[in-house]
Amino acid sequence: MSGLVERTVSFCRALRARGLLVTTSHASDAVRALRCVGVERRDRAYWALRSVLAARPEDFETFDELFGQMFAPPEPERREHGRQTVRSQRKIPDPGAPVASLVSWGRAGEGESGNDEPEGVPGASDQPALAEKDFKSFGWEELAEIERIAARIARRLAARPSRRWKAARRGARVDLRRTMRGAPANAGEMLDLRFRRRKTRKTRIVALCDVSGSMDLYSRLLLQFLYALQGSVARVESFVFATELRRVTEALRAREYAGALRDLAAEVNDWSGGTRIGACLESFNAEWGRLVDRRTVVVILSDGWDTGDPSLLAGELQSLRKRSRRLVWLNPLLGSPGYEPLTLGMQAALPHLNVFAPAHNLASLRALERHLL
Amino acid sequence: MKIDAVAQLLAQLDREAYVGDPAIATSLHLAAQLRKPLLVEGHAGVGKTEIAKVLARVLGTDLIRLQCYEGLDASTALYEWNYPRQLLHIRLQEGTATEAQIFSEQFLLKRPLLQAIAHGGRAPVLLVDEIDRSDEEFEAFLLEVLSDFQVSVPEIGTIRAIERPHVILTSNRSRELSDALRRRCLYLWIDYPPFEKELSIVRRKVPGASEELAAQIVGLVQQLRRGKLAKVPGVAETLDWAAALVSLHAAHLSREIVEETMGCFLKDESDFRKVKAEIESGQLPLAGGAA
Repeated sequence: MSGLVERTVSFCRALRARGLLVTTSHASDAVRALRCVGVERRDRAYWALRSVLAARPEDFETFDELFGQMFAPPEPERREHGRQTVRSQRKIPDPGAPVASLVSWGRAGEGESGNDEPEGVPGASDQPALAEKDFKSFGWEELAEIERIAARIARRLAARPSRRWKAARRGARVDLRRTMRGAPANAGEMLDLRFRRRKTRKTRIVALCDVSGSMDLYSRLLLQFLYALQGSVARVESFVFATELRRVTEALRAREYAGALRDLAAEVNDWSGGTRIGACLESFNAEWGRLVDRRTVVVILSDGWDTGDPSLLAGELQSLRKRSRRLVWLNPLLGSPGYEPLTLGMQAALPHLNVFAPAHNLASLRALERHLL
Repeated sequence: MKIDAVAQLLAQLDREAYVGDPAIATSLHLAAQLRKPLLVEGHAGVGKTEIAKVLARVLGTDLIRLQCYEGLDASTALYEWNYPRQLLHIRLQEGTATEAQIFSEQFLLKRPLLQAIAHGGRAPVLLVDEIDRSDEEFEAFLLEVLSDFQVSVPEIGTIRAIERPHVILTSNRSRELSDALRRRCLYLWIDYPPFEKELSIVRRKVPGASEELAAQIVGLVQQLRRGKLAKVPGVAETLDWAAALVSLHAAHLSREIVEETMGCFLKDESDFRKVKAEIESGQLPLAGGAA
């Protein structure tokens, strides 16, 4: 049995080295688990160890790999069995749908992308980036993941407990004061309990998404993100801009995404090239300024290639920041290794931002949660 | 020769009309043996909650269920004093009620967690359903309860579990659970079942369905799962649909009957239109069945 203990411990160590959540107590649980199910059958040992040592589905692949290495040369059939489970929990991507561009997009942040993408990138490979324009080229898996992240953020935004209390018919705490006020009506007894609960603080989001040529690949995904966000909380206002500003809240709201996008694309394609961020923000402040108050987080999604006047941009950002709760600028280029925000527009913008963060892969979208709250 | 406990458990699950697989049976067996909580994750409608119910039946014990939601707190999950009753008691005793009387067990409202801990007799199965819906504070609180299975009620003292309950937590992954919680639990991922398994589930749960119908239903649902639907049908939907078709005396699928009963497995308007179009254009073969 001692050989078993040693082997299990070194298996645990190997898993931990690969980033799995494995502690010393896991190792002892693993040994106990093996004793429970016996080691005569490899498949039993496999399921037992996986149940103890893998804490999330993303771990299964690493687990399978190391299990294959550490425990007896795999009988082909068993090996297959384990593999198949891992495989089958990914939705099989439509074979007709090329995913190349999305894969490279998802991978743009290298390094961190590894275990940060739970459902895995289907058919992940080293294919070069293609500035594929058709939405069909987007991996279904990525879209689903974007939606999942958006829904998660939306839920947190929608239900943040405030520090204030309000009276409620049912709530977390008895409101002693109001209960006692009611006592005289019951001959001095506090029979009727009054409650209070925390108010929910509602954060609003105003998103301004750059859809100019240089942002093409990203803006489509970020729009998808906004679409999903909007589907979950009603308090998202979305705008797109390039040389002009357009409110797309309604367009993104009612209908299904593909349709909304087709209309948008048709409209936006008519615009002339280039980006005038400053002018667009100016018209936003003039026409839609009322949407922004102290509870509003303003998110600008752009690479900062501005062909307009930098001082105009700076002025408008300053005014936005004063009125908003937080001003967040998400720049997809920030994810590429050598990038520095040296463009005139970006230089003018930086002093006025509360948050300047990347938005180039799933991991950075996930981190967005922090900035929005 | 050692008894294969996992195989035995599989057979027991089967007797309770739950079609399991070795992964499920092994996890359940270990959870019971090591007395660790089991965290079950998977898509909606793959039978996560059902596992706890079946386990309670297999073990011949009670099921105590805690449904989680945003804002769930200790007073709804653990215990609360029955204030109105206490006040009434004081009133009736006309000032002679002692503190010990008022804060005794008869005025204590036991919520699911305390029920599970204070449960007498055979260890119950505690189902903490959809833990991902609760907030982080509650998760931390739950962690504390799960690590020692004891609760301190200041007015009464510490209540300890005589036998540790079997704990099953389920999650839809709408929120990432903390590492601390994951570390404490055994983990089970339930995927959509492969064709054969889903077919035997339909056979078990909807015995009225003919062999041909069952295979066609499962075939179609499996095919739909591969497509891009907004709401992917789970096993629960398959079963609903099968039951509906049986009650309509359908012997096999036809275009009309599928269109009439689509609401059983499609829960989104755009999915509805999409699938309808696919059926009409013949992209989605109805008799594909096992093929």
